[in-house]
Amino acid sequence: MAFTYSKLAEVTVGAGGTSAITFNNIPQNYNDLIVKLSIRWSNAGPDGIYVSFNGSTASFTSRIIEASGSAASSSTPARLVGGLEGTGYTASTFGNAELYIPNYTSSNNKSFSADSVTENNATAAYSQLIAGLWSNVTAITSLSLTPSSGTFIQYSTAYLYGVKAEV
Amino acid sequence: MSITKLTTNGLNGTKYDNVSADNYYMEPIATTLVGAGGSSAVTFSNIPQGYKHLQVRGIATFSSGTNAIILQANGDTGSNYAWHQMYGTGSAAGSNGATSTSTANISVAPTTGVVGVFITDVLDYANTSKYKTYRSLTGYDANGSGVIALRSVLWMNTGAITSLSLKYDTGVSFAQNTRFSLYGIKG
Repeated sequence: MAFTYSKLAEVTVGAGGTSAITFNNIPQNYNDLIVKLSIRWSNAGPDGIYVSFNGSTASFTSRIIEASGSAASSSTPARLVGGLEGTGYTASTFGNAELYIPNYTSSNNKSFSADSVTENNATAAYSQLIAGLWSNVTAITSLSLTPSSGTFIQYSTAYLYGVKAEV
Repeated sequence: MSITKLTTNGLNGTKYDNVSADNYYMEPIATTLVGAGGSSAVTFSNIPQGYKHLQVRGIATFSSGTNAIILQANGDTGSNYAWHQMYGTGSAAGSNGATSTSTANISVAPTTGVVGVFITDVLDYANTSKYKTYRSLTGYDANGSGVIALRSVLWMNTGAITSLSLKYDTGVSFAQNTRFSLYGIKG
């Protein structure tokens, strides 16, 4: 019998903003992790949400397909797991992204996927489908999310869930 | 401490199951299966406010035209939405959208008789400090044509979502066996 989500942690960004959202001491008794993100950042233009595992930014690779609201493209930005609306986008608007990390405790390299949208009452709004790889066989015990610079702003939220399967 | 084992003593001896009763965070709220007469709209009303996120899943078909499904919140039929998409047709990929529109498109538009599917996530649906952004994975395949898309919708209102209405953008009715299900995810 498969179990659905169990919430492990939640972060709501306060008035001062934050340069990183970090989940430490992740329990090791689940099969997969899911992170749900509703985030906006402090700078004007769009940006990305970048992940690191266990404090490491090394050994990440990815493939993405991305759209801008008017065109689609593909690239390989390491550690990208989602997009960010900037302050130049429609006010009170936050992105919607989900990061899925299966078998996060395994002794294999860690594959992950993400789908992410940002919105804007204008032509420009970014969406991404992401396939990523952390070439590291260590179990994931912490996870951190950051913009390329600046901060995540007030009311941004991040939720970490564990998914467990039992027979 | 969470409950991990339930034990029953019956005529056939003791039976037990191992369970984890502490964390079931995704729960079904409601589901609608369209009957023989079809339906012009499906509405989930009085949505409980005790969850953090909502997920709507749908499989739908119709009897005429080419139609996309729209998802309107709290009965808002005004031009208070924007939507965008990234799509692929099997031969091309692209992106487009609309602004200040009443058509909050969460699905691609299959042709008559073809079944389309979608899963739409709405994070922080009860948060009154944010507009509401939907993320929807949707597609159909018609054995020679089809579309896969990642869509987004912005509802420009900070009100908590208390109802969601699904309908085709052209007013065509959902056909029999169309099903929509609403789930709540706790936080």
